[in-house]
Amino acid sequence: MNPLHLIGRVISNPWFVGVLCTVAAVAAGFVNQGTVQMWCFLIVNIMLAQSINLLTGIAGQISLGHAGFLAIGSYVAAVLLKDYGVPFPVAILITMVVSAMVGYVLAIPSGRVREFYLAMMSLAFGLIVYELVREWRDLTGGVMGMRGIPSPNLNTLEIFGWQVSMEWYFRIMLISLLVLMMMLRNFVKSHFGRAFYAIHVSEVAAGSLGISQGGTKRFAYALSGGIAGIAAGFYAYMVGYLTPESFTLMRSVEILVMSIVGGLGSLMGQVLGAALFTYLPQQLQAFNDYQFIVYGLILVFSFILLPRGIAGLLGTHTRYSKHDQLTANIPDVNAVLSRRDTGSGALVDVQGVVMEFTGLRALDDVSLKVLPGTITGLVGPNGSGKSTLINVISGIYKPTAGTVRFKGQAINGWPAHKVACLGITRTFQDPRNVPSFTVRENILMGAHRLYKHGAFAASINSPAASREEGQFLGRVDALMKEADLIRHADEAVGNLPYGIQRLAEVARALASDPELLLLDEPAAGLSESESERLGALIRLARDHGVGVILIDHHMDFLEELVDEVVAFDAGREIYRGDMEGMRADRAVVEAYLGKEEESHA
Amino acid sequence: MDFFLQMIFSGLSVGAVYALIALGLNLTFWTTRVLNFGQGSVLMIAAMLTAVMIGSGLNMLLAILISLAVAGAVLIISEIVAIRPLLKVSGSMGWVVSTLGLGIFLQGVASLAFGTQAVAFPDVLFSSSASVQLFGAWVSMQYIAVFMISVLIVGLMELFLRYSTWGYGVRAVAHDPDLASLMGIPVRKVVLYSFMFSGLLAGVAGILVSQISGTVDPGFGLHLLILAFIAAVVGGMGSATGALIAGLALGVLEKLIAGYYSPAAAHMVAFVLLVAVLAIRPQGLLGKKEMVKV
Repeated sequence: MNPLHLIGRVISNPWFVGVLCTVAAVAAGFVNQGTVQMWCFLIVNIMLAQSINLLTGIAGQISLGHAGFLAIGSYVAAVLLKDYGVPFPVAILITMVVSAMVGYVLAIPSGRVREFYLAMMSLAFGLIVYELVREWRDLTGGVMGMRGIPSPNLNTLEIFGWQVSMEWYFRIMLISLLVLMMMLRNFVKSHFGRAFYAIHVSEVAAGSLGISQGGTKRFAYALSGGIAGIAAGFYAYMVGYLTPESFTLMRSVEILVMSIVGGLGSLMGQVLGAALFTYLPQQLQAFNDYQFIVYGLILVFSFILLPRGIAGLLGTHTRYSKHDQLTANIPDVNAVLSRRDTGSGALVDVQGVVMEFTGLRALDDVSLKVLPGTITGLVGPNGSGKSTLINVISGIYKPTAGTVRFKGQAINGWPAHKVACLGITRTFQDPRNVPSFTVRENILMGAHRLYKHGAFAASINSPAASREEGQFLGRVDALMKEADLIRHADEAVGNLPYGIQRLAEVARALASDPELLLLDEPAAGLSESESERLGALIRLARDHGVGVILIDHHMDFLEELVDEVVAFDAGREIYRGDMEGMRADRAVVEAYLGKEEESHA
Repeated sequence: MDFFLQMIFSGLSVGAVYALIALGLNLTFWTTRVLNFGQGSVLMIAAMLTAVMIGSGLNMLLAILISLAVAGAVLIISEIVAIRPLLKVSGSMGWVVSTLGLGIFLQGVASLAFGTQAVAFPDVLFSSSASVQLFGAWVSMQYIAVFMISVLIVGLMELFLRYSTWGYGVRAVAHDPDLASLMGIPVRKVVLYSFMFSGLLAGVAGILVSQISGTVDPGFGLHLLILAFIAAVVGGMGSATGALIAGLALGVLEKLIAGYYSPAAAHMVAFVLLVAVLAIRPQGLLGKKEMVKV
């Protein structure tokens, strides 16, 4: 075994962590105050690294201004305690809430723009907060700094008459850190963690599973801000003196570097990164002298030289399901899908849909009805508008004209995640899984829209949350069995053959317990036996009353499945009926093979 | 009233420089969908070098030319070291972080070589005391010159991009690099040239803005980069005309608020403007909506 991985295994072992923390908590009473303060400082850095990791490493939203959160939080915490006498634990909680709100407000544009806009915005945020704390002298003391904040360092921090010493302050921080990390770990392994990561890797796929782009990013920003707020509160009391110079761009960069070097995405990596960059500058004078040069070079080269940071070297990866904490009760595959009522008219009713792109009419007055429990095949040459129709129904495109009704409700123009939440689930022409997730995690992601438990329940692993997660894990296992994927369950999807990725995506769609299933060329590139599994999955859906729209070029595959087939050419419907009739239809044959030359006729 | 007019004129002057920097950002954004987060340091390096070289007795024109050459080279190096290898990292995470890193590195190098203190910037355009009366207010000739030069360069670049062969190349690459490559357009060369020009524009902007402010220090570029980015976003990312209009408006707004209230408040307003535009109309005044392709 790789010795580095062995180290990784040891340090992420709960017993090791427990013993280490106990030793540190006891030792705090025996070492000098400066050392304890250093340890406190380390905890602040770990919390900040966790905060930026949640936002940048997991949700993929780059923050270049995290010192802004630290600054706002520090001054809020200081003022609450100094001027209003709020007991310090309460003050820290209020600080957390304020910081979270700042994060939320910052993320308001996040649903509509690509990441680098937000990155530049975060850079501006850090800079402007720094400027504001310098200028707002009445409140912050400006460049002279703010003094007289009750602090364990000066023996002035009291709570209910008990004077908190540095060693007890450290112990309180240590316990807070452990609770925080425990909650973060559970959170990341829940459907929230998967959603965060999914919008990072593929916003379009995430949307198709009912994960809201803007909502998830705002949540990530708010949570990250909140965690930074806790760190800031502890920091303000620990130092007892605040100056704007602690909140410069360099501080933001330092937090980012800790997180990147530790390993973006890994919770344990953050601890290591924070430890490294808390102690290194203490030990190496060069670090301080050439701070800009060193941090600059780290940022330039870390993604190339050490893409997954120290955590990657040590082989400690954060997984995105509670599979390792819970055992799944595997139900019968028929229990995975609800039995839908097939009696009540059209499930989806597309009326006169027109889709125009600049200079191109991809759909020209298309109408289509799909009944529950039936399979409608869409055929036609490439570029005839089949995928466009699926994109319109699933909310990725807003049609130029026409309506799409789902169970009588007009849904055209709805954002994709809202459409998905109704029970309309799709797959893509090129499979869109999260490559670094295992097959199990990917399929579990399909169930996202069905989860009922909230973020707090997920973070503390409440009984209800565990029950729900266990139930969905069981359904995923049943689907994997049906799709013959169980032997790949714990392999990263990105490393698997194309056919397996396709099947995993279809299984993921079924895990959402859909009412309408839109499959865009699911059989392309599948082997004979994989096609059979796919056919079984599609029949399973149909037999439960799911309406299916199926695009494919394999006529034999369609023949066995479809109730009705619709052929398209150049954005128009040219045939509707059974497969037999389509083969004989002149217009369809011409669209596929071209016109026969008259002279040979 | 005089004060008001002076603020307007100085606002137009820095605003034109914002437009110049924004044009530099747009140029690489067109060809590669990437922009340099370390551009602030490029402004600084060009201005710093100019000031130091002229200070040590070098011919003024030569000093400026060398500085601009360095600025162009820095951007080419950025592309090769900090952008191209990182495009395979998912999303924009890789290049955002690495270009920022390169900027910070340059800032460190500049501090090491020239010290962290502000350096006085010599008069390269007129004397700082030369001024003319416009609508009753005394306006520094330097402001007028900076404004004219910036607007002229933005205008010339626009014409160049619209009517020259090279401009066609840029627009073809912006539209679809693979297709452009199939049409025989040397995509790689176009990309590198766009970076070089982006660097040159940043260099010119750095020198012009230092001429107005009178001093330059290693940390000075970041604010300019952010304000220029705001101008680019408000005008519509990718639109040169939009950036010019938004840049001028932003410059005037900034100077008025800074003049009557405080510079921090001006930056705060600019920031709120950025958040609001991104939230309400991310394509800006004149930009085109981005289409999701599936």
